[in-house]
Amino acid sequence: MKNANVAEVLKKNAMLIVLVLVYIYFTARTGGQMFQPLNFNALITQNAYVYILATGMLVCMLTGGNIDLSCGSFVCFMGAVGGIMMVVKGWNPIVSILLMLVVGIVYGCLLGFLIAYVNVPPWIATLAGYLAFRGWGTKLLSANSTTGSIAPLPDSFLNTFSGKVFSTGVGKMNIPCLVAGIVACVIVFVASIMSRANKVKKGYEADSLLTVLARSVIASAAIMLFAYKLGLAGGIPTALIWVVVIVLIYSFVTSKTIMGRYFYTIGGNAEATRLSGIDTKMIMFVAYLNMAVLTVITSYVVMARFQSANSTAGTNYEMDAIAACVVGGVSAYGGSGKVLGMVIGATLIGVINLGMSLTGVDANWQKVVKGIVLLAAVVFDIVASKKNATR
Amino acid sequence: MKGIKLTDVLKKYTMVIALILVLIFFYITTGGKILYAQNINNLISQNAYVFVLAAGMLLCILTGGNIDLACGSVVCFAGGLGAVMLDRDMNVWFAVIAMLVCGTIIGIWQGFWIAYFKVPPFIATLSGMYAFRGLSNVLLQGYTVGIRNTTFLNVFGGGADCYIPDFMGSANFNTTCMVIGIGIAAIYVIVVLRNRISAKANGYEVEALPSVIVKSVIICAVVIWLFYKLANYKGIPTSLIWIALVLLVYSYITTKTTMGRYLYAVGGNEKATVLSGIDSRKVYFFAYINMGLMAGLGGILTVARATQAQPTFGQGYEMDAIAACFIGGASAYGGEGNIFGVIIGAVLMGVINQGMSIMGTDANYQKVVKGLVLLFAIIFDVMSNKKKK
Repeated sequence: MKNANVAEVLKKNAMLIVLVLVYIYFTARTGGQMFQPLNFNALITQNAYVYILATGMLVCMLTGGNIDLSCGSFVCFMGAVGGIMMVVKGWNPIVSILLMLVVGIVYGCLLGFLIAYVNVPPWIATLAGYLAFRGWGTKLLSANSTTGSIAPLPDSFLNTFSGKVFSTGVGKMNIPCLVAGIVACVIVFVASIMSRANKVKKGYEADSLLTVLARSVIASAAIMLFAYKLGLAGGIPTALIWVVVIVLIYSFVTSKTIMGRYFYTIGGNAEATRLSGIDTKMIMFVAYLNMAVLTVITSYVVMARFQSANSTAGTNYEMDAIAACVVGGVSAYGGSGKVLGMVIGATLIGVINLGMSLTGVDANWQKVVKGIVLLAAVVFDIVASKKNATR
Repeated sequence: MKGIKLTDVLKKYTMVIALILVLIFFYITTGGKILYAQNINNLISQNAYVFVLAAGMLLCILTGGNIDLACGSVVCFAGGLGAVMLDRDMNVWFAVIAMLVCGTIIGIWQGFWIAYFKVPPFIATLSGMYAFRGLSNVLLQGYTVGIRNTTFLNVFGGGADCYIPDFMGSANFNTTCMVIGIGIAAIYVIVVLRNRISAKANGYEVEALPSVIVKSVIICAVVIWLFYKLANYKGIPTSLIWIALVLLVYSYITTKTTMGRYLYAVGGNEKATVLSGIDSRKVYFFAYINMGLMAGLGGILTVARATQAQPTFGQGYEMDAIAACFIGGASAYGGEGNIFGVIIGAVLMGVINQGMSIMGTDANYQKVVKGLVLLFAIIFDVMSNKKKK
């Protein structure tokens, strides 16, 4: 009994364990460099785009393993549009941000319309965007600058999407960061205990109190470790706030709202969902509209991080986002997957990215490794779910 | 009655008409340059890869709208491998076989996961798209590797002498080429007549004689005109032979062989196909191995044409191939499409590529145009299928 339990726990948290192992591997390979405060900061700021895009991709994939290949190119295109508005035309950053959002919504509506109402297979519709937006974005950038990149972006824009909150010098402990960590830990404890109490009250099956406490302690330890390291690195990265807000919102939407349930049911069985009177086309439309909006937010974060709009921005981002979802246990056929799993997947991808660049792995081999990780994750997912099905 | 027939004809040949319109458009915007003998020759040589890859892609698409996103990277990798081998003065035919084998092995690798593990094709091949692009860079170490081996270049359509030599005739007009063109037209007419006679003898329904004659006359005229133009430049480019060979073989496979029928059957209704005792996994496996082989051949033609291999080669080729198939009427949901359509689609993509480069359109806008063409082709396909149902 006890043994079966351990095996079960291991299986359920396979990717978390892989994440820890990969992390330890890279820490050892880099002689502890990976564990430095600055690299904690880098892990977040360099990979903020993965979390945000993967959140949108998750929603698309839930509806039946559908993906968006155009998001990387669209990040580049939106960067060009934003750069022209803010730098070349000198428009107010807030107006520009809103206008960029409008452009994203227009593209999202168009894409959603084609996929949901015209029945164009998603990968073809987005493959067209993948090519067209890379070309268009590059063209806009080269037409508006001699170097192919537009800078400098206004400070107010940069401060909203990059940099640190309550920044202090590196090496000194940043108090707001530590406080935020403690608050997050308290929230984790209260939320998990309340959720358990609620389940028990309603007579649902609930995990034992011990498990819940153990899980909360582990989660809090991870949060505090991050808070401590980030505190030493000078404060909470602004990008982290965006990531946390988006992840929390989507975690809520996918698990607690009706719309969220619809995404899962369509992916589980589209025909049955449609026959039970749910507007499946509307749901597909929303999934792709949502993807485009999150892509625009990604483009803000990416522009702010590079402090410019340039034509290589967003290259292969679609790959990272898809890989984060698939590694995080989102089914390649739709219908299952959680935001928390995606976060673990995205972190794993981030750790691999960072670890490879710290160990000086050639960019070309990085591509190879990423391709293999993606394939391995899908195969793992398929083999695991096959076993579940036969049992 | 007559009116209905006309709209039917228009519908059936929409893409042929689109092709003619696009040709006219570029004829006007380039001031007639697109129909210069030299440009027609270039159109074939430069777009040989589209025909070859599209033939492979067609088989994948037939099995249910599945695609291979990796083929552009595989073209680069296989081509790069050959270039490196030739650079080290290895035997030409050994290098050629190595490239084809390399493509086939990659096809086996991807096909294995897709067919036997049910990994969604777009994910399996997306992974390959990145991995082989990275490997190509590693293989070529980021540099351009030139190809000097003239045998290789001549046979696969690169360099200055990649034309079938003229055995007879004058300096400015390649008579051999013209003779071959007329020969092909004659063979076409004979085959059409024989098929018609044998169909009639077996009691099958046959098309009305006038429409057969009109069709044959048009096709013969196009063939003869094409070879006349080629003869006016340097003759038949060797890449045309490879294109013709691939198209003939695939036309045969898709229409006359059991495997060909299986491809359509799996794409039409996979469950029914499996229940009638066909191993659909083998069909997928076949389609992707075959795609790998074609990517290998595409790699050969690409590096031969460029007389070098670069780590950036093959980018967006998957797009050209997919677009050629869809323009040619292959269904995005599988089970429909044929080689004739692929030819039309590939020629259309070729004309667009060629027309835009003659016009000096910026490479970035070319990407935008191609993306839009793909999108319109697929919307057209989906809409017209909806109406049928």
